Amino acid sequence: MFAYRLRRPAWIVGLIVMMLSLAWFAFASWPDRAPIRIEIIIKSTDDSIEFWKVLKDGANVAAEEFGAEVKVTGARSDADVDGQISRVEEAISRKPDAIILSANDFNRLVPVAKKVAAGKIRFFIVDSGINADIARSAVATDNVKAGKEAGQALLDTLEGPADVAIINYGSAGASLIDREKGVRSVLDEQSGIRLLATYDAQGQEDNAYLYTKRAIAEHPELRGIVGLNEPTSVGAGRAIRELGMSDRIRLIGFDSSINEVKLLEEGIMQATIIQNPFQMGYLSVKTAVDSVRGKEVPKRIDTGSLTITRDNMYEEENQKLLFPFYE
Amino acid sequence: MKPPFKLRSFQTNIVFAFALVILMTILIMGVTSYYVSRESVQSNTQTYTTELVKQVNKNIRSYINGMMYMSDLAAGNRTIQEYFSATSFKSLEEEKKLKESIVDFLGSMLVSRTDIASVNIFATSGGRFVTGRAELERNPYIDIEEMSWYKDALAAHGENVISSSHVQPIFKGSYPWVVSLSRELIGRDGRSLGVFLVDLNFSVMNDILKDIKLGKRGYLFIVDQNGKLVYHPQQQLIYSKLKTEMIDRVLVTQSGTFTSDEGKDSRMYTVEDAGFGWRIVGVSYVNELAANQNNLRLSFIFLGLVCIVIAILISFYLSQRVSRPIRQLESHMKEVERGNFDLHVPVPKTIEIGRLARAFNIMVGRIKELMNQTISDQEQKRKSELSALQAQINPHFLYNTLDSIIWMAESNRSQEVILMTSALAKLFRASIGKGEELVPIRNEIEHITNYLKIQKMRYSNKLDYRIDIDGSIEHILTIKVILQPIVENAIYHGIKKKRGAGSVVVKSQMTDTDILLIVEDNGCGMDEETVRTLLLPIAKRPEGRGVGVRNVHERLQLYFGPQYGLSYASSPGEGTTATIRFPKKTAVPPVGE
Repeated sequence: MFAYRLRRPAWIVGLIVMMLSLAWFAFASWPDRAPIRIEIIIKSTDDSIEFWKVLKDGANVAAEEFGAEVKVTGARSDADVDGQISRVEEAISRKPDAIILSANDFNRLVPVAKKVAAGKIRFFIVDSGINADIARSAVATDNVKAGKEAGQALLDTLEGPADVAIINYGSAGASLIDREKGVRSVLDEQSGIRLLATYDAQGQEDNAYLYTKRAIAEHPELRGIVGLNEPTSVGAGRAIRELGMSDRIRLIGFDSSINEVKLLEEGIMQATIIQNPFQMGYLSVKTAVDSVRGKEVPKRIDTGSLTITRDNMYEEENQKLLFPFYE
Repeated sequence: MKPPFKLRSFQTNIVFAFALVILMTILIMGVTSYYVSRESVQSNTQTYTTELVKQVNKNIRSYINGMMYMSDLAAGNRTIQEYFSATSFKSLEEEKKLKESIVDFLGSMLVSRTDIASVNIFATSGGRFVTGRAELERNPYIDIEEMSWYKDALAAHGENVISSSHVQPIFKGSYPWVVSLSRELIGRDGRSLGVFLVDLNFSVMNDILKDIKLGKRGYLFIVDQNGKLVYHPQQQLIYSKLKTEMIDRVLVTQSGTFTSDEGKDSRMYTVEDAGFGWRIVGVSYVNELAANQNNLRLSFIFLGLVCIVIAILISFYLSQRVSRPIRQLESHMKEVERGNFDLHVPVPKTIEIGRLARAFNIMVGRIKELMNQTISDQEQKRKSELSALQAQINPHFLYNTLDSIIWMAESNRSQEVILMTSALAKLFRASIGKGEELVPIRNEIEHITNYLKIQKMRYSNKLDYRIDIDGSIEHILTIKVILQPIVENAIYHGIKKKRGAGSVVVKSQMTDTDILLIVEDNGCGMDEETVRTLLLPIAKRPEGRGVGVRNVHERLQLYFGPQYGLSYASSPGEGTTATIRFPKKTAVPPVGE
């Protein structure tokens, strides 16, 4: 056989070339690879939180565009750390190509995340990270920067010496930790500004409302409040509105909702720092897909933050962020 | 039978050739039809996209036209004119009455129109405001004069202004996404009375647009005259610059198609002008225009493989058919090689192979014939030699000679005894020789000389002889013992039967090619009949006479060919001439012809 081939190279070469081209033809046209399966575990499946709805939208748009199958699960609420851990366990058992996690607790999700990263499943962070550098990529707002923006927005509206209160939602989440860090880093250096001890709303808007009321009563010099996320901002806003304190108290919030829009319109809240959850969802899925397909992905992706005030809230580009359009 | 598949065989070559040809055909056909069908799919898609975009345009225009109709009704309504142009009213009652009739009028426009969010008129001054949806309350924190639909309407002086999609915050507690039509209402005196506003729920358009898919990733978007996106499924990605859309090119394209140059992700834009500033744009990804392109390709390949398999099977069958008779012929040839000539190859139906088989049969037949002839020639030759040998040692001649020797010895003629015995010895030596078939003429001369010497002694006064051979031919080769039987014949049948003495002359002649040895006697001669029958085959002659002569003739012919041999000329009472003819060149004696 071999001797025969040597004797007739042109023949065989021709045949082989033709076979190869046929094979190439076949290969090039092979239907798309099997869809990449991605599990996203979010902080809260509570449908009233627009942030997660928009993030899911972004994830779905990316899934459709890049040919991935995305399944979103999550804890009942931000405080439900155990629930989230078991969601992650369940996701591991389904053996997806990638798991994208928005951690409810900076520390307590580390073991289960390590379990993900130890297996064949690629591990990514969206929005809120964990206390371990094991994610292939973290797609999130640079929350320290966002916190600084909030601090700056507050500074811009304050006059003279003032007490400032920060209301946290539950200090376990990395995003909130970073935001507080950002806010403090701006306000700490300012003369005439006294930062009060941070209030922990423990995952309840009502707590934020109550703490705000109490803080206003207890600290007559209180001039500024920063709510580190949507419920704390709205709770604080409600308290200020009720007490008719909008002239005295400047409120800076985070994220967006109809209630926050109302607070902005009413002049109770001076600014809110919004993130881009759509982009987070979209980019986290895109990054996961890229990584699964063997591309190099950046370790950190900042999806940016934006300071929204009463003046710019109806600008075209901000409308979509503030008033997400649901289908 | 050989194994059916062997490289280098005829069959394999045919199979290979078939496979190659089919493969080539499929490849060329496949590629061509693939590209041809791709072209057609592409143009089909383009047509489809254009149709779709037109359809969407129609739908959207019907909504916008509905809104324009409302605005026309409002602009021409007397009550509205009256209410908004009045600087003051006679009574609150009258004002309320007027306002209510306007509310009724606007409300009637909204009957069973869930697609319309609200219909309103805002006075340019004085803060009067009427809405068709009585349940709506103004948002106290919003200044409508800041709203772009309001400003644009005033700037357009009575023309309809269609806004892009936007959030409408003017009513308390709701922030719907709408498309607004606004129009300045102008009084009969040319004064600006107010602004008419219709809001279309954007979800209506969204519902139309969101489900439209052009291919797998293609989509539809709408842009207004300022390049603002009215609708885009990935609006957020565009705002955050993760995606770009070729808005500038869309804006300069009235209606038509263009393709962006983005390599693998090139997009085809199909633009349709909606007529009121909007452009509806269908975007499809060029590389997936032919969504079933891959299926097409796969089916080509599958078909190709099937064809190749079939082709190989057919070519196996065909080559089997072609090569089977050839192999049959080959096995027959092997048989012939082994020496079996008694066979007849069946003639196959295939023309070429049939011819081959027929020619082969003829050839085998001819070979067989020739071999038989060779065999019989050899047999003949052996027989002739045997009889030549017999002729040489004719016992009568021997014992007659020996008798003569005894008799001479008794008579003490010892000189003669010596002579005769030595002649006899030489005779035998010459005739036996070294066993070779061909001898120089010289040998024959010596042989015949000794023979004649002996005969001369025996018939001393009755026989004379003369040998007259040209010395130059002595080296030429001839077969043995050709002269002696003829001379013997001349003596016993010519001279002996004659009264008185006779003579025998042996002489030679030479032509350009042949040697002639002539034996003449002046004996009793023969009649014509005897001459004629003398050289006939032995079986056809009446009696055993002349066996030696006949044998000479046959041997000459066997050795040198039928044109050579012995010839006689004779007339009764005068003598006989016998002529031996053979070729001069006798290096290798030919066998047969």
